Amino acid sequence: MSVLPFPSFLDDIKEKGLRKAVFEGVDEVVERLTAGMNIQDVREALRGEAPSRKPNPRLTPHADGFWLHMRPSYFHKDMTGLYPTFRLGWLSTYFVFFETITGIFLMIWYTPSPEIAYGNMLNILSNVPLGQLMRDLHRLGAEGMVLIVWLHMLRTFLTGSYKKPRQFTWFTGVVLLIATMFLSFTGYLLPWDQLALWAVTIGASMVEAAPPPIVGQTLNLLFRGGPELGANGLLRFYLLHVLLVPAVLFVFTGVHYYKVIVHGHSLPPQKENIGEDTAKRVPLDKRVYFIPDVLTSEMMWIAVTTFVLVVLCVWFFHAPLENHADPQVTPLGTTAPWYFLWIQGALKLGDKVFWGIIFPTLVIILLMVWPYVDTQPSRRYAHRRFAITVCALFVSIMTILSYMGLPEYGVTTSADSEIRHELTMEPAHSHIGIIRPVPFEQLVPGIYTTEQIRIEREVNPADLRDDLEVFNQRVVDLGHADAITSEMGTQQLPLQAGWSFDVVPADAPLLHEVLVEFYEMMEEERQELRNGYGIIIITESQPNLRRVDVLIHWEEVLIDRGHVALDANGNSIPLFYQLDDQGARVLDDNGRPVITSTPTLDPNGTPLNVEPIERITSSHIFLHRSAEYFHRPGGN
Amino acid sequence: MGFFSRFLNGQMLFERIETRILVGVVMFVGTLILVGWVAINETARMAAFEQQFNARAVERGAALYVSNCASCHNPDGYGQANRAPALNNPQLFGYDYFASIRSERQDLQNELNNTETPPTAERTEALQLRLGELDAQELQLRQQMQQATQRGYDPDRPDRLLNLGWAGSRQAFIFTTLVHGRPVSINYWGGNVMVAWSQQAGGPLRNDQLQDLTSFIMNWNRDFTVEDLLSVNQFAIEPVDPRFATGGGAAGVGRDGAAAYAAIGELTGDPNRGQSIYNGQEPTALGFYMACATCHAGGNVGPLTTGTWTRVLNERLPALPQYTSGEEYLVHSIVAPNEYVVTGYAGMPDNLGDQMDAQDLVDLVAFLMTQDQ
Repeated sequence: MSVLPFPSFLDDIKEKGLRKAVFEGVDEVVERLTAGMNIQDVREALRGEAPSRKPNPRLTPHADGFWLHMRPSYFHKDMTGLYPTFRLGWLSTYFVFFETITGIFLMIWYTPSPEIAYGNMLNILSNVPLGQLMRDLHRLGAEGMVLIVWLHMLRTFLTGSYKKPRQFTWFTGVVLLIATMFLSFTGYLLPWDQLALWAVTIGASMVEAAPPPIVGQTLNLLFRGGPELGANGLLRFYLLHVLLVPAVLFVFTGVHYYKVIVHGHSLPPQKENIGEDTAKRVPLDKRVYFIPDVLTSEMMWIAVTTFVLVVLCVWFFHAPLENHADPQVTPLGTTAPWYFLWIQGALKLGDKVFWGIIFPTLVIILLMVWPYVDTQPSRRYAHRRFAITVCALFVSIMTILSYMGLPEYGVTTSADSEIRHELTMEPAHSHIGIIRPVPFEQLVPGIYTTEQIRIEREVNPADLRDDLEVFNQRVVDLGHADAITSEMGTQQLPLQAGWSFDVVPADAPLLHEVLVEFYEMMEEERQELRNGYGIIIITESQPNLRRVDVLIHWEEVLIDRGHVALDANGNSIPLFYQLDDQGARVLDDNGRPVITSTPTLDPNGTPLNVEPIERITSSHIFLHRSAEYFHRPGGN
Repeated sequence: MGFFSRFLNGQMLFERIETRILVGVVMFVGTLILVGWVAINETARMAAFEQQFNARAVERGAALYVSNCASCHNPDGYGQANRAPALNNPQLFGYDYFASIRSERQDLQNELNNTETPPTAERTEALQLRLGELDAQELQLRQQMQQATQRGYDPDRPDRLLNLGWAGSRQAFIFTTLVHGRPVSINYWGGNVMVAWSQQAGGPLRNDQLQDLTSFIMNWNRDFTVEDLLSVNQFAIEPVDPRFATGGGAAGVGRDGAAAYAAIGELTGDPNRGQSIYNGQEPTALGFYMACATCHAGGNVGPLTTGTWTRVLNERLPALPQYTSGEEYLVHSIVAPNEYVVTGYAGMPDNLGDQMDAQDLVDLVAFLMTQDQ
């Protein structure tokens, strides 16, 4: 007789007692949730014991449940270890979900508009609890994912796992690689800072090179949403980043994994006879069941990777955020993201169309068709010397091209702007101008010169003040002082008449260190910056705000195609204004002064009737007491 | 078996399931602890970031100032005679050199005029002596300022914003001036005009750059000295219709509700004059046009004028026991409007008390008391 007018849990209690009824109820719920394993089964699995009932309950979640229906219920023992997979495929999949989850959190705080995107970043950093951590994780995860996917591909190549019948699996893998890189690239623009704008501008400019011009221009316009990256471009990149590319990625992840399962995970090459594919025939003694062995291994790898990412983001890595994007200001040393540096390097080899468009396309096509071309059946390393050589060459070439993509390679900037940049640059690409981290107290207002360091090193430091006085007088006599005053005037910094150089105070050791580095950079470039010296002027601009001016004064030398021309003795060749007998500059027909690199010399070798071409350049920055510049952007 | 051959034979990193579970759980708990630790420190980190970021905004603003503003407003911000007013300027920040003298004098006079407990003869003498000292101090200060006064500085109207009747914040005043420039300034700066600087208004700079510039200009605010005042090359010129520029004097009834209510004391209000002030037809005794009706006529921006007194008696007083009478409530509402803001309306300008004296205030209250129905 039922308690209620229908059979219910209460009847169970009445019949079996509360304890037993509750236990059986819970047991049933667990069995339903796991699609086939009750509490006892779960317990046995996690203890590493054999299943106590038949049929094996650990297989039912694969047969009856949704989440595991695509996962094999057992694997071959030879491929569940660290080698040959290094768990790279699993980690790639994990990163897809990791990026999705962290990305959704960031989406809550983001609007894809140039008006406020950067403000959103500041808000995430200053007003959203855990916002910085989430942003760091998303950024680090993105770069990690590109790396892991490349490594996964490299591993697959080396073990020959792309060979028949897995050619198409490899092909979908190449699609996923492109999607991953494209995802990372489109995400680059979203913070709308200088780093983003210029890295993406470089990337997008490659599209423009696509031949013929009408195609390139149209593609460029479609991609950027206008002649310049602006509101339309940002929105397009955002939609690519959160909708289109993820959709492609998810679909192809499904296809890729489906193919992996259909053909089985390929065994290590030496475990099979040549030309055989035994992955689907797993002998009983070689079976490793998904539950519990592979499942616990996968869970462990997730936990370890997450922990490592969090540790890195708490102590070692912060996603960069530079100044607000500004199409008018191109920072010195702009680069594409590191995984596109190879294209940037290739572009330095010559033709934009070939190296910017055709070459990368060829690389992708080569990757895609490789399994259909390399049909030699053996997967053993010893039999694949050619393929492995090609692979090693490919890795080497990509590494060299990536190095060539760095701004250090093949970009000629004049020595003076290079040095000024090195001293004053905004934090970018984990570098910072060496003046910025100097503590505010040590930025003592005054006028300093690298001559102080030369005197300290080459002359008696005890006479520093006297020698600096001599130098002061020389600067005035040669007219440099007026040139410096006038240069500062154009930079809106009026100098008092009769100013002179100061000795760096003893309680400003870090300022002294900056001056030493400044001096050494000038010495390194002494060929180009002939008779050059540097000046640092520090002035009080406002309460808690100081202005630092960096000046370089030198005499011009002959520059040939971006490099300093050298004479037979290996010295640079100075340039002079030609003077007439009255000491006035000789002018050419257009009224410009005549410049010579081969003046007539008197018997002592002193040039006659010429005047060195003096050059002076400057840059300035402002430093606030509370700005706290660190060596690593955001680090401590 | 060595690690390498184990590795080639397909061993897992941890072959025992217990080890894998242990490592996984430890890592998972470790992640939770780390994230929790970060979360605990978030408030401090966010505050530090904000301070650091504001400092960098000042730095960027300084660079923008050098390239865009310094040629007219001077690198040191002291302006150029007949070209552009100073920004590094006590007047822009409303620095009142006489504030401390005035408040001390007020205190002394209150004590002197206290009829309930009059000061002793000895004390009276001391008070009068100190008052004399204060007068001498003020005079001396005024003499020191003379050069600035000759160049157009009015020590009794020290706040540029107040002189213009600006009701918003100082930051917003600077920012919006940058946005649209000063189109009329061509009339009084000898052919020079301050152009619009925002891209929205056709200028060259983005809004975030204008924010940086604003932060930089605001960073000039400090405890100004008389030397600072004398360094100013050019004070601001107010484009005010001379017919209206009748008033002056900073001695308004003030922004403190209780003090203002005490100040009106036994004064009798004239509702007709109150109405004129309310509608902006007549200036206050200090020369300001109030135009309360601009917001209160339609009832959309502020509560409707009609029925004010009825609402005060029937709705506000029962809900707000801190006010003992309708008059007191109205006085507070005018000079300290943010004490209580009626739901559904934005706050009123909070500087009205500086623009009217006690008689103006009592006239306004008298007018509002006629608004019953």
